[in-house]
Amino acid sequence: MVVLECIDISKSFGALMAVEMVSFSLKRGEILGMIGPNGAGKTTLFNCLIGVYPPDTGRVLFNGQEIYGKRPHKICRLGMVKTSQIMEPFRAMTVFENVLVGALHGGQFNMSEARRETTNVLELVGLAEHSEKPSISISVPARRRLELARALVTGAKVLLLDENMAGLNPHEIDEALDLLRKIRDSGKSLIVVEHIMRAVMGISDRIIVLNYGAKIAEGTPGDVVNDEQVIQAYLGCDFSSC
Amino acid sequence: MIQNGFMTKFWASFIAVSVAVSLFPLVTTSEYSLRVATIMLLWIGMAGCWNLMSGYTGYIDFGPVVYFGLGSYTTAIVMTKYGALFFPSVILAGVVAALIALPIGISTLRLKGAYFAIATFAFAETMKQVSLEFDRTFGVTFFEGSHGITLPLSGHDNVFFFYCILAVTIVIVLLHYSIEHSKFGYGLKAIHEAEHAAEIAGVNTTGLKLRAYVTSAFFLGLLGGIEAYWITYITPADVFNVHKTVQMVIMTLLGGMGTFLGPIVGASFLTLLSEYLGATFVEDYMILVGAIIIIIILIMPNGIVGTIKERKGIRFI
Repeated sequence: MVVLECIDISKSFGALMAVEMVSFSLKRGEILGMIGPNGAGKTTLFNCLIGVYPPDTGRVLFNGQEIYGKRPHKICRLGMVKTSQIMEPFRAMTVFENVLVGALHGGQFNMSEARRETTNVLELVGLAEHSEKPSISISVPARRRLELARALVTGAKVLLLDENMAGLNPHEIDEALDLLRKIRDSGKSLIVVEHIMRAVMGISDRIIVLNYGAKIAEGTPGDVVNDEQVIQAYLGCDFSSC
Repeated sequence: MIQNGFMTKFWASFIAVSVAVSLFPLVTTSEYSLRVATIMLLWIGMAGCWNLMSGYTGYIDFGPVVYFGLGSYTTAIVMTKYGALFFPSVILAGVVAALIALPIGISTLRLKGAYFAIATFAFAETMKQVSLEFDRTFGVTFFEGSHGITLPLSGHDNVFFFYCILAVTIVIVLLHYSIEHSKFGYGLKAIHEAEHAAEIAGVNTTGLKLRAYVTSAFFLGLLGGIEAYWITYITPADVFNVHKTVQMVIMTLLGGMGTFLGPIVGASFLTLLSEYLGATFVEDYMILVGAIIIIIILIMPNGIVGTIKERKGIRFI
């Protein structure tokens, strides 16, 4: 079942075509990888999907419903949310309160339900022990998980993860991948933007590749790494033999 | 469980303080101290209104006095021109302030940082000019220009106004308490910390900012209305005076922005300090007040309450 369908999305900033006629769809319970060089339009595409700015052209169908022009908080409540590449914790709040904001506002839970949901999600992402700490005092990997928790707690069915594993060491990446699989198995769909090939190849069911705003390839991880265009644009050498 | 402990402690101390304060007019014989106490409560309320909006969201409103002034004028006009009673007039003052705050909020709250401050400041100055020039421009007697309006003598003593202002201030304080750990409060604080991230996490940022702004305007309107009837004479230069805005800002900053006790501590401290120094050093007390404010801001950059909270890890509520 398709949960998200994007048809011919374009977005330009002045003369710069950041995203150009990109179409793809996301199935329920699927992990879709999105790769491409810096500036390829991955983050812009995410921002178009969640309503930070509407795309210039194209349609976004979420569960069959057109969501063009809706504000991010509305789209979040409908069930699609992203985590930012640049981490933005609510600095003066504790880890618990950070996630609570997502539960109360994005999840629209009442206070006691929200507290329960928050506790559960912190448990799931492994932040339970940091719960009462100020959000600025925790490590980078923990902050990445905090971003993820704040998105998860809204109950969103589609999660867009923008380099949620950046800055993690190999061991932490393995843990993060396990977590993402667990999240997927709970019935959610994910789009994962990542530069760490080992991570994105290992976890994705399908991969799309962007270059200069356009989609240049789509397929299974195996297909994509052997694609001539992808090798030229991004991977730089035959990835499968590196 | 911890939450409940805080709540019981809060209610116990809140009721104790409220009762103690409301007994004050009964135990004091000095009209002077009663006036000082009333002014202090007025400032607690006004600083509280500013804190509700700017303290929690971080949007620095530099024109809150406009709603105080509109409240004063609404009360004065309906009482003198239409012979309305005091209490309905004051309620109307709050409603008018809130109704005007709505379109102003919608248009200014999309501005950020200094631009929001400038826009709100400009609106307050504009309303001062409107109330000065309206009558001459349209050939009517409504605002009565720079003469101002003299309200009917109330026949009430200071004790009456003490209780009126105390009542509104208590509601403002309770409002702070109720939002501190509420959905609304967490939303406002999230906007303060990272508005973009808040919106992505589902916070209706525009809606919440507007709610805070309009609420703050409503209570400022009430206070403006009560003060007008208390001092019985209002002029645009007085009720729209930018110094009122500055006082609200400084008191809240001194006490601690975005904290529940901040406006209470800041307003009490500054009112009492100015009164004491003003009586002792009549000529140059403002220099001392200024110096003390600077010293406090230097050693306690987050305000008195904010800094103590941070250093000792004390949670007041």
